[in-house]
Amino acid sequence: MNINNELLEKYHLNTCTSEERKQVEEWLFNTNVDEWDTTGFTGDKEVLKNEMWQEIVVDIPPFAKPLPTRTKLYFMWKGAIAATLLIVMLAGLSYFCFKQTNVQPEASISLINTSSHQVKHVDEQGYSASVGPNTAAKINSEDGAIDLKGSILISPKRDITIAQGLHQSTVLKKGQTYVILKNSIGKSGVIVISEKNLLDMPPVMQQQINTQFGI
Amino acid sequence: MALFAFGVGCKSNTDKAAKYSLYILAKDGKEYLLTHNTLDSGVLKPEANGVLLDSKDMDRDVFAKDNFFYHLNRKTGLFSKFFIHSGQLKTDGALLLKDFSIDNFSWISQDTLLLTGFNLSGYNHAKYKLIKINNMQMIAEGDIELPPPSGEFTTQSIGFVEKRADRLFIGYTYHASQGISNYLSSDTFYVAEMAYPAMKRIKVEKDTRSTYPGGPNTIQSYGFSNQQKDYYFMSCPGIALGNRPEIPTGIFRIKANENHLDQDYFFNISATLKNHAYGVWYLGGDQAIIRAERKDLYKDLNDHYSTAHFEFYIINLKTKSAKKLHLPLDKGTRRECVIVEGDTAYISVNSTKDGNFIWLYDIKTGSLKKGLQLAGDTDFIMRIDRLNP
Repeated sequence: MNINNELLEKYHLNTCTSEERKQVEEWLFNTNVDEWDTTGFTGDKEVLKNEMWQEIVVDIPPFAKPLPTRTKLYFMWKGAIAATLLIVMLAGLSYFCFKQTNVQPEASISLINTSSHQVKHVDEQGYSASVGPNTAAKINSEDGAIDLKGSILISPKRDITIAQGLHQSTVLKKGQTYVILKNSIGKSGVIVISEKNLLDMPPVMQQQINTQFGI
Repeated sequence: MALFAFGVGCKSNTDKAAKYSLYILAKDGKEYLLTHNTLDSGVLKPEANGVLLDSKDMDRDVFAKDNFFYHLNRKTGLFSKFFIHSGQLKTDGALLLKDFSIDNFSWISQDTLLLTGFNLSGYNHAKYKLIKINNMQMIAEGDIELPPPSGEFTTQSIGFVEKRADRLFIGYTYHASQGISNYLSSDTFYVAEMAYPAMKRIKVEKDTRSTYPGGPNTIQSYGFSNQQKDYYFMSCPGIALGNRPEIPTGIFRIKANENHLDQDYFFNISATLKNHAYGVWYLGGDQAIIRAERKDLYKDLNDHYSTAHFEFYIINLKTKSAKKLHLPLDKGTRRECVIVEGDTAYISVNSTKDGNFIWLYDIKTGSLKKGLQLAGDTDFIMRIDRLNP
């Protein structure tokens, strides 16, 4: 088989036939030199071979870099950063979810009337109320706990929850009127009753409530 | 007279002929008056079928007779007669009753109404108003000669008024106010015999077998005359009325031909039921229906009205026995909740679990079945009334 400069040039320019290409490649990567007539080739076979490898290397994509070895410290930092990001995300989420209750807490309701005869009237942003004589009332905005001495008549401008015992709570609905009394004759601490249910109270107590609050 | 705020009712002109009225308290605190021709079946929604009431003018201490309603506005003192027409309340007449609070009403005749009660300014001065209702004219008014409260007692209440020819029997007792949220009643009740219409006291009887005789009958019934004209009334010392729970609830009698309490008759309800009761309705013969509380199901006054704990019993006045009706537990401390017609007792029940229904009790067979349902926004059926004979 002839290997000459012209054939190698054609191979180099990728213009040879497939048979010629096969012939050149067999010569290049075969160590038995006697099978080929190389009289038409004036160059150095090894130099040519290297040049051809160079071209091939340029054409194929570079090898993917091996993964660097991860240390324990690396994983620790990675976990810490992820956890921090999660906390930041949750905090952001809860800010929007609980904005009204946590970020802008309703003021607790605190009503005091030291007069022993007069009813005191108050009108606040969240409610209007008539505070009975000798009354001190506090409604905690967070848990609805009520501390009451005396009596109040209250009309909430937004819903107010009052906790009564461990598992019981009463919602004072916006726009309605409620009477809240220290429960003198019962087991629970206070009596909370809508003005609409006042006729369910004992008549004598109703008279006392009506007379005091003028309702 | 623009007394009432007229609601968004959508009823027809047939209102006047309707047989029944129902007073509803809705879940949102609104109140409605509905009229309807049957309690046997069907579904009504107050927000769709009722007249929305103005809470400034109206409350459920409203009573009905011959297609008209009667109500005293405690704040204005205006006692009004009204009817429903085309979904609106129309005033037919009104009277100004100054410084007056009604404890009891009694129909003296077809068109004569006797109101008894006290001064609003102190509840310690008994008064009466005798009114011709056709034209809402005052026939007579004045004081009732009841001994006023004295000693530890500060106020007084009338629980029943029974008229016999030229006599009135008035049951009453005394109370000691202890601040806004506490009070006690005397352990004794009294029955005054009065000359009518002079309203002069003839005598007063004391009885210590119970206290708080009857109650405000504008809210609920506590007495009746049976077919023999014997008058029966229930005493109510429980926490919802007398607040002397250690004293028994009982039923007492004034015989038709006698002018004093029957000392030999006492039906001890508390001993029979182990509970207090409030309210009694006559079924005919020796039978009546009573509404009793369940002290094991409520805690105290705070949840007495909102917890479903009331049971209905058929009692026999002669044998002094009681039989429980198998109805859902009912809520609402005091309600005019029974109408008796022939062999049927219509019983309104506000059940937390099963909804608000009129139940039909067959007096002859003892059977019970569901009738009209009050659905939609209904929270309490506060009263049911028969509007015409």
